[in-house]
Amino acid sequence: MARRRKSLTPKGRDDDVRMIAGFAIGSILTVIMILVVIIAPPATIGPSEGELAPDFSTDAYTGASWENFRLSDTFDYEWDEGEQGEWILIQFIDTDCPYCWTEGEKMSDLYAQWSSDVEFITVAVELSISGHDSNRQEIEAFRDKTNYGTGENDGDGCNSGRNNCIDRPGTVHEWSYVEATSGIMKDWEISGTPFLAILQPDGYVAWNQYQNNGESIGDAMQRVVGGSQ
Amino acid sequence: MNDALTDPVLLAFIGGLLISTYFMFIGGFNTTQLLISSLGFAGVGIISSTYTYIIHNKMVVQGTTSFCSSEGIVQCGSVIGDPTWNNLFGIPWGIFGIASFSLLIFLSLSLYLDRHAKWAENFLNYSWVASLAGLPFVILLVAIELTQVEGAPHICPFCTVAHISLVGYVIAIYYLKKNKDTGKWIDQG
Repeated sequence: MARRRKSLTPKGRDDDVRMIAGFAIGSILTVIMILVVIIAPPATIGPSEGELAPDFSTDAYTGASWENFRLSDTFDYEWDEGEQGEWILIQFIDTDCPYCWTEGEKMSDLYAQWSSDVEFITVAVELSISGHDSNRQEIEAFRDKTNYGTGENDGDGCNSGRNNCIDRPGTVHEWSYVEATSGIMKDWEISGTPFLAILQPDGYVAWNQYQNNGESIGDAMQRVVGGSQ
Repeated sequence: MNDALTDPVLLAFIGGLLISTYFMFIGGFNTTQLLISSLGFAGVGIISSTYTYIIHNKMVVQGTTSFCSSEGIVQCGSVIGDPTWNNLFGIPWGIFGIASFSLLIFLSLSLYLDRHAKWAENFLNYSWVASLAGLPFVILLVAIELTQVEGAPHICPFCTVAHISLVGYVIAIYYLKKNKDTGKWIDQG
């Protein structure tokens, strides 16, 4: 009687082990998530109030030269609510935007009132609008109120080329002007300018202009930062 | 620099890589050992990616972390803490590492549990393609560390562990494919 020969090619298991592998990796990921939440929960980052302000590292004009600037270097991570600390007013402008042009004076006034308690930062973006081409010379001239452009409405200069930058309302701005990148605009959800936000000393957004329609920046500073006449 | 290189966590990761490499070579590249090796590399990869993600979260919220040095060439503070380069489309690289190594573990574990299944050859090919797809990102990240981050060049040791894990995984899968193609898929002896 012939003996039945065993097949030489091994067959797979009857049960589908992919399910077991799936459960195993699911368990590993669950443990990882729990560990991360316990050890270092992720922060909610964004421009809305209560969120940690999106950090950026880029070049900034200080009045003398262009230097590397990192927003989080201005944060005081040890700060607790109620403590003294340096708040941050961050302004987004386009040197060719007419509203930013007129807000120059308001910013000068705010700086005169709040510079001892608040760090001022202006981020110069370039909106995708015809006639809003900008460059470092224009940013420098806008900040310093120096000669740039003709003063004729010929597209040359600040305020969509309507004005010579030397005529910007307000005084010379004594704070850093940051050159924005597209990444900064995206992270800060900038769709138009000017845009203002007040950050707590630890970097969390305390006031967002878009979320407080009707409240002026002066009132907001008084309400949020307080302590100045 | 010395501090970073004598970090006990880093030494544990290096130990994991060495053990995974050892499994690759013992037994003359036999399939079982290669599968264990691939699981080892993917395991070290997912843990090191998690570690970099934890460092990332600490850096974002606290500005610093005791988990990793922020000074010298070999450090991760300037790499994982760099807001421009520590993410892809806003997602931290650590998350990409965790997701990628999860997939590789799933594929290798499935093969380890049943290498003779009908889908085994497909899973081996998926492992090969998925791991190869990660290599350009490793090259990109090393280039960023060396040239782009603030104060470059820097080498982030925990990121490098994840990168080596992927390279080790690719080598293990390469030999597994070779075994499959040359009829050595079933362990000899």
